Amino acid sequence: MIRGAVLALAALLALAAPAAAQAPASTPQLTADISTDRVEITTGFTGASVMVFGATEHLLGPDSGEDVVVVAWGPHQPTIVRRKVKVLGFWINGPSATFPEVPGFYALASTRPVWEILPEDIRRTARLGLDALPLRAEGSQAPAFRAALLELKQRDGRWQEYATPVQVAGGRLFSARVSFPDTVRTGDYRIEVLLVRERRIVARQELFLRVDRVGTAASIASVARSMPAVYGVVCILLAALAGWLGSVLFRRS
Amino acid sequence: MQVYLPIAEMSVDALLLLGIGFGVGWLSGLFGVGGGFLLTPLLILIGIPSPVAVASGANQTIGASVSGLIAQWRRDNVDLRMGVVLLAGGFAGSLLGVQLFAVLRRVGQVDLAVAVFYVVVLGIVGMLMVRESLRAIFRRRAGIPAGKANQHTWLHGLPFKMRFRKSRLYISVVPPLAVGFGIGILSAVMGVGGGFMLVPAMIYLLGMPTSVVIGTSLFQVVFVSANVTLLQAIQVGSVDIVLTLLLLAGGVAGAQFGAAMGARLRGEETRALLGLLVLAVALGLLYGLVRAPENLFALGPAP
Repeated sequence: MIRGAVLALAALLALAAPAAAQAPASTPQLTADISTDRVEITTGFTGASVMVFGATEHLLGPDSGEDVVVVAWGPHQPTIVRRKVKVLGFWINGPSATFPEVPGFYALASTRPVWEILPEDIRRTARLGLDALPLRAEGSQAPAFRAALLELKQRDGRWQEYATPVQVAGGRLFSARVSFPDTVRTGDYRIEVLLVRERRIVARQELFLRVDRVGTAASIASVARSMPAVYGVVCILLAALAGWLGSVLFRRS
Repeated sequence: MQVYLPIAEMSVDALLLLGIGFGVGWLSGLFGVGGGFLLTPLLILIGIPSPVAVASGANQTIGASVSGLIAQWRRDNVDLRMGVVLLAGGFAGSLLGVQLFAVLRRVGQVDLAVAVFYVVVLGIVGMLMVRESLRAIFRRRAGIPAGKANQHTWLHGLPFKMRFRKSRLYISVVPPLAVGFGIGILSAVMGVGGGFMLVPAMIYLLGMPTSVVIGTSLFQVVFVSANVTLLQAIQVGSVDIVLTLLLLAGGVAGAQFGAAMGARLRGEETRALLGLLVLAVALGLLYGLVRAPENLFALGPAP
């Protein structure tokens, strides 16, 4: 947090200096940072949010024509969408579609909706917007699966589109909050901050963030994955011990 | 107080889990069963993924049954030889059951299979229990003595006979092996110890005396659920120890209250109540299967 604030301050000071006295290379059009580069999943984890903030050289807003777009990407998470069908009066899982290239987490925020400030082809190549994600399906190609994927991912908070705004203070300082739900996957996350002027992306900065399990949750998950047999035996012994302990405690009282 | 479950990869209210553990423990103490048949559906109901609910339910069953087993062992109420024969069948059954579970998970039908198994098994067991106990209650009211349990049936004509001294039986090993096998499959798919099925099977199918039935069934349940836990941990990777221990913490306490209360109830009445409870769970799950789902679509991780 402090490191980021110092950076933002430095950027502001740079902006405050007379523009004519500076070479273009030394004046970044965009400076951004995040409040933390590590989200830790502890035993008490219920979700987390990080602040993305920074400053721009020129004034932001519809008058000056500059906008900031913040987009966060999680690791790839191939996802299967199943549709329930009624068979003999029972609802069972029927046809399915697999989406192999979708991100496990995606959040988009901007000062103005991206479709207003960027042409469609740039918006698509930069993948700004849920409909611009690579939603290639294997299996059933019915559009209902794509719609269900978009709806369900948004409902549980793993995909967000304009869920929170990019806030602007003093015309040049911007900040946006990226919220991770408690179901967030571990891995490397990438946050892109884009500066848009005259329907073009004029500057971009990439920030990186790691989501990791720490403490007990981390050791349990890693033991369970790397040594499943040992983990299974430990689970059995712990459960037996807990049961035995209970009977002993009861007998004393 | 939220707690993060590392294997289920979600956070759940710890007090809710303690409460569920306590309630299920109370009922299991009252009725003398492990309570897995209530626990797994409840866990699925609060949003725990089916594979984690089943595997952790089996893990919890070990803890819930081990104290009972110790108590019965001290009173010398365990027919070890019968237990080992049942266990041999149970190991084979749970081995097959876990394979079946892994296949169902691959084709995306775990939820359906678990629900169908529950509805069918609980429905049948519940109906049999209610019928039997009502009959016993009417018989007691009318003053008719109970019929003889050990009747000679075709089961006694099977080969490979073996003497089970503590059960005072000389029967073929095929029926106990088959009973153990069937319950092994069910415990792997349903995440239950199978005590609620094993006890009636031992009394009515095998003709064992009631005194050794509970202890021997607990012996089988502890080891079969240990086997299921191990196999699920290795093959599916879905045992959540944090979930298990929270449930056990509530369950161990609840079981003591339940047992104290159960001592004041008559055997037939207890069995009738348990039968009704089992039936209610079966009907609830059946309703979940036939009711039109809120959302036709569901997401899952691609294999």
